[in-house]
Amino acid sequence: MNSENHTRHGSQVTGVKAPARVVFTGDFSDRYTGGVKEFEIEAKNLRGVIKTLDELYPGLGEHLEKETTVAIDGEIHEVGYYQPVRPGCEIFFIPKIEGG
Amino acid sequence: MSATITSGKKKLKLVGTRPVRPDGVPKVTGLARFGADYSLPGMLWGKILRSPHAHARIRSIDTSKAQALPGVKAVITSADLPEQEFEYVGPERVAVNFWHMTRNIMAREKVLYEGHAVAAVAAISRTVADEALRLIKVDYEVLPHVINVEEAMQPDAPLLFEDMITRGVEPAPNKPSNISKRIELKIGDLEAGFAAADEIVEGSFKTAPVHQGYIEPQACLARFDPDGQAELWASSQGHFVIRALTARLLGMDIGNLRVYPAEIGGGFGGKNVPYVEPVALALSRKSGHPVKIVMSREEVFKACGPAPGSSMTVRIGVRKDGKIVAADGLFKFQAGAVPGSPVMNACMCAFSPYDIPNVRTVGYDVVCNRPKTAAYRAPGSPISAYAVENVIDMVAARIGMDPLRFRLENIARPGTPTVSGPKHTHEGFAETIQALMQHPGYTAPLGKNQGRGFASGYWFNNGGESSAAVHVNEDGTVLVATGSADLSGTRASIALMAAETLGIDYDKVRPIVADTASIGYSHISAGSRTTFATGIAVVDACKKVIGDLCARAAMIWDVNAEDVVWEDGCARCTGNKAGECEPLSLKAIAAKRSVTGGPIVAEVSVNAGGVAPGFATEFCDVEVDPETGAVKVLRFVAAQDVGRAIHPAYVEGQIQGGAAQGIGWALNEEYIYDEAGRLTNAGFLDYRVPVASDLPRIEAVLVEVLNPNHPFGAKGVGEANIVPSLAAVANAVSRAIGRRMTELPMSPPKILKAVNGEQ
Repeated sequence: MNSENHTRHGSQVTGVKAPARVVFTGDFSDRYTGGVKEFEIEAKNLRGVIKTLDELYPGLGEHLEKETTVAIDGEIHEVGYYQPVRPGCEIFFIPKIEGG
Repeated sequence: MSATITSGKKKLKLVGTRPVRPDGVPKVTGLARFGADYSLPGMLWGKILRSPHAHARIRSIDTSKAQALPGVKAVITSADLPEQEFEYVGPERVAVNFWHMTRNIMAREKVLYEGHAVAAVAAISRTVADEALRLIKVDYEVLPHVINVEEAMQPDAPLLFEDMITRGVEPAPNKPSNISKRIELKIGDLEAGFAAADEIVEGSFKTAPVHQGYIEPQACLARFDPDGQAELWASSQGHFVIRALTARLLGMDIGNLRVYPAEIGGGFGGKNVPYVEPVALALSRKSGHPVKIVMSREEVFKACGPAPGSSMTVRIGVRKDGKIVAADGLFKFQAGAVPGSPVMNACMCAFSPYDIPNVRTVGYDVVCNRPKTAAYRAPGSPISAYAVENVIDMVAARIGMDPLRFRLENIARPGTPTVSGPKHTHEGFAETIQALMQHPGYTAPLGKNQGRGFASGYWFNNGGESSAAVHVNEDGTVLVATGSADLSGTRASIALMAAETLGIDYDKVRPIVADTASIGYSHISAGSRTTFATGIAVVDACKKVIGDLCARAAMIWDVNAEDVVWEDGCARCTGNKAGECEPLSLKAIAAKRSVTGGPIVAEVSVNAGGVAPGFATEFCDVEVDPETGAVKVLRFVAAQDVGRAIHPAYVEGQIQGGAAQGIGWALNEEYIYDEAGRLTNAGFLDYRVPVASDLPRIEAVLVEVLNPNHPFGAKGVGEANIVPSLAAVANAVSRAIGRRMTELPMSPPKILKAVNGEQ
């Protein structure tokens, strides 16, 4: 299943021209999306991305919020609704980071 | 000796200086209060009965004689803690299953390692408590045990959990095993990558579990009041997390538990989770008295998590021109008695320093009859780096390239994808290699039986939730409260950042660590996050205070607030009345606190992102005694990208500490079990950590490639330093004796075997 089949428009978005590429890593996709790892989503912030994914896979949003760290164009952040999503950016949900 | 190499340094007055730490005097005079230093009227002593067996079913526990002993006020078993739902919750990499956690705190159906807690007593003295423990009768059915990770993975291995089905395997296995989880990460086409290689080098390696070696054993004082309110004084890396986990394990509301942070005598990851806190609180709840528990060193070794042991195989393919084209890593980690080793970290970090188009990492999390592993300084990464950097060294030798030049030719740069997906975004790795290439020791001649080893390493670093409050006192002094435990001198770096932002002297700032009822949530001091994330909260709070001070100055001068700026610790008027208004210092404005609006306070909470990872490259010279197999470390040079070194002396201390722990991991430290699965070296006399006389002066080279996402450019500095150390020592020893050593620790008997050709 390719990512084009999963293009969605975030409900909060207006005037966004290029969708963000959203990618899951690890076995996260096996657990929650039937193995689909890539999506194209239009949203202005991370809230829009999570909301769209939760509409596709009910319950996924809560797991993303609790279990992952997000890398937006490589910069790693804690998952926060307020994180801006630039058109055309690359978003990876990766296992949350903890250290010693 | 140390050196600093800095890029983009702007002029700062305080950040980058080396003042005395605010918590220094109480610590050197013995007045600082650690976990064991708290007492309350009516306090009882808690003691824990521990399993003498590595693996046994608990048929029954008879506590009646202990309860009847005069002076005993309470006896608890697992029946006094609520059962927990079987569910993995929280982040995948560090998922917690409270069903497992409560069983680790106090055994239920089975004991899973020697030292596993079985029951606990609270009594009027330690002597009475010890006597009561001897009166508790536990009927065990002793079971076969398994310690080694490879043996634990065998189909006929004794099972710790008869219903454990490996997660991460499709379809799910139809038989239980000790393999809790399988992880696989990959990018590119591994087969095509190896097909394009001119040389392929493979090696298999083993590491022993090692303890964090903190000086202060776990200790706490707990008080549970009849109204359900409770207080806890504990030494930990994060009192908010201790509060949350302890409340959950006792079935309490978080709001009913207040945790006060004691000073911490070392943690290194080992004090991220509770051990004695839920037990002390349960004993207090049952007895109605405050209860103190202080672990012995033997208990720390037998019951508190070490870093995992491992068995690993790494294969790397390279072209003749020195370009790495494929890499494959298999990492089997001991989780200890319940699932949860840092094997995910190992898989994610292993090849991250390098630009390799085709990579696969596979990890296994395996339970066995030894204490549950805990985090230890960049958890997982030093172990996988040990295997990878050995093979990198072997590859460089195979194609005849200088080992540092070979690494430099293959480094990851911004835009290079990692095996977990995201691309690198920060520089800093190349600079650490170049710093060592410029070091005079890099080309210094070596003598007989001597060798030089190089290695590099990567660690994510962390951000996350932190809170800070800034209070301006009426005399112009400033209190800065945070919720972050100070493991490493972070109060000094916080005071420096606050003083620099406010424009006041360092000694006018008093930094404290506030309890869970006095400051907003702050995550554990782990992942090298405190100076970065809490530092952002502190600077933001100072900026809010500056805004308030400017508004008050405008009120004093009767000008618009927009006409006031803050420069060099003073409010200055820039508008039409600029010539009439003398600058107002923080102290002068604070003196008019009441008439300008009351207390001057700002509290800020953040969820800090924009973390920059840590890279380190190290080299080590050793001399091996061919008669005894003993290794002497002659020189150790560690270059680390630290972003801005807020307090350089403490950053150097972090690098030296990480390297020292890595040297111990490489040469001496291991758990030694007898045939019954009992630990035989549970003390610092027999578990050999390096002491000062074992080590040379470790040269710290601070490479300062600033992080644009922090107000002063800081990056985490506490962990990346240990990542290369194991491999740097191993590569040096292997080159000194002319044979590849493949198992840690490289103790004298193993080296003698290798020297004599018996390996």
